[in-house]
Amino acid sequence: MAILSIKNLSYSKHHKLILQGVCLDLEPGKIVALLGANGAGKTTLMRIISGQAKHWHGQVTVDGQDNEAARKACISFTDQLSGFNKAMKISQVADFYEQVFPDFDREEYRKLQQFMNLSPDMRLREMSRGMKEKLIISLTFARQVPLYLLDEPFSGIDVMARKRIINSILLWKNDQSTILLSDHFVNEISSVLDEVVIVKDQTVLAKQGADDIRAKGQSIEQYYESFYQEGEDE
Amino acid sequence: MEFKDNVPIYLQIEQRLIKQIVQGQLQAGDRLPSVRKLAVTETVNVNTVQRALRDLNMQGFIYTKRGEGNFVTDDQDLIADTKEQLIKQAVTDFLKEMQGLGLEHRSAQAALENYLRKEEQDGDSEH
Repeated sequence: MAILSIKNLSYSKHHKLILQGVCLDLEPGKIVALLGANGAGKTTLMRIISGQAKHWHGQVTVDGQDNEAARKACISFTDQLSGFNKAMKISQVADFYEQVFPDFDREEYRKLQQFMNLSPDMRLREMSRGMKEKLIISLTFARQVPLYLLDEPFSGIDVMARKRIINSILLWKNDQSTILLSDHFVNEISSVLDEVVIVKDQTVLAKQGADDIRAKGQSIEQYYESFYQEGEDE
Repeated sequence: MEFKDNVPIYLQIEQRLIKQIVQGQLQAGDRLPSVRKLAVTETVNVNTVQRALRDLNMQGFIYTKRGEGNFVTDDQDLIADTKEQLIKQAVTDFLKEMQGLGLEHRSAQAALENYLRKEEQDGDSEH
């Protein structure tokens, strides 16, 4: 059974069409990249799947659940932590997560935090971009759910932080859960992907296995760029 | 480790492990690292490593002991045959490259012998 199934999804905001006719099925146990130019609709798609965006049309099912509350319980989504007071210590942010999410595993969080070299007494306002992303990933993976959504987890962070985050994905993902991560750049993460999904022209244009693309003598980057060659719509 | 970006990664992992077996870095009966460990050291997907190991299993280069992991074959014939093939491939590649430079097989052979002789002389004069 598909872990995520989207059928005929469309969404408009302020009379502007953002997504239309989106269909997408993801299987369990995969790492999938959602690729598209800025403004192609990646983040909106993520927000619809996770239940943050409302008033869309179509069907979105996660692990067999299409009811919004049940669906949300199956998803762990990278929250940018903008709702938290900047003076908060990261241990307090973890306390909050533990209270709000019944599937939050404090022991796993402790291991992740250690792996990421984060001190529990650090305050949000003291954190660099890379540290904050490591915290966000730790909080996201500490939840035990079938589907993880990582919205541009590598944007604006240095090479070492990126390497840590990629390793945490490889170490913490269990065999059955699926990770969908968005990016507008694929180079550094292409070796860890099972599949890529191309978003363009307000819809999902293609889904392909990473090694199937390479078997045709193409790199993932070339494949992705082939959809954007004409240079329109950016 | 680096990978070519237009060749399936599972194939590249297979070829690397086969090379390590032929070169003796991995010996008969050696246990391979766990799938997850291999995935992290190579920075690749766990499913990709699994696919490579499944293929190597089918080809007889490794065998699985339930609950214990994957081990390198002690089939010396297979290893010798594979070594033969790799040598053949390397020679073919060399000859093709030389052909591209306008040297037919005999001239390529002469160029190689010339090179080796020069190397030996240089080696001697250092002593």
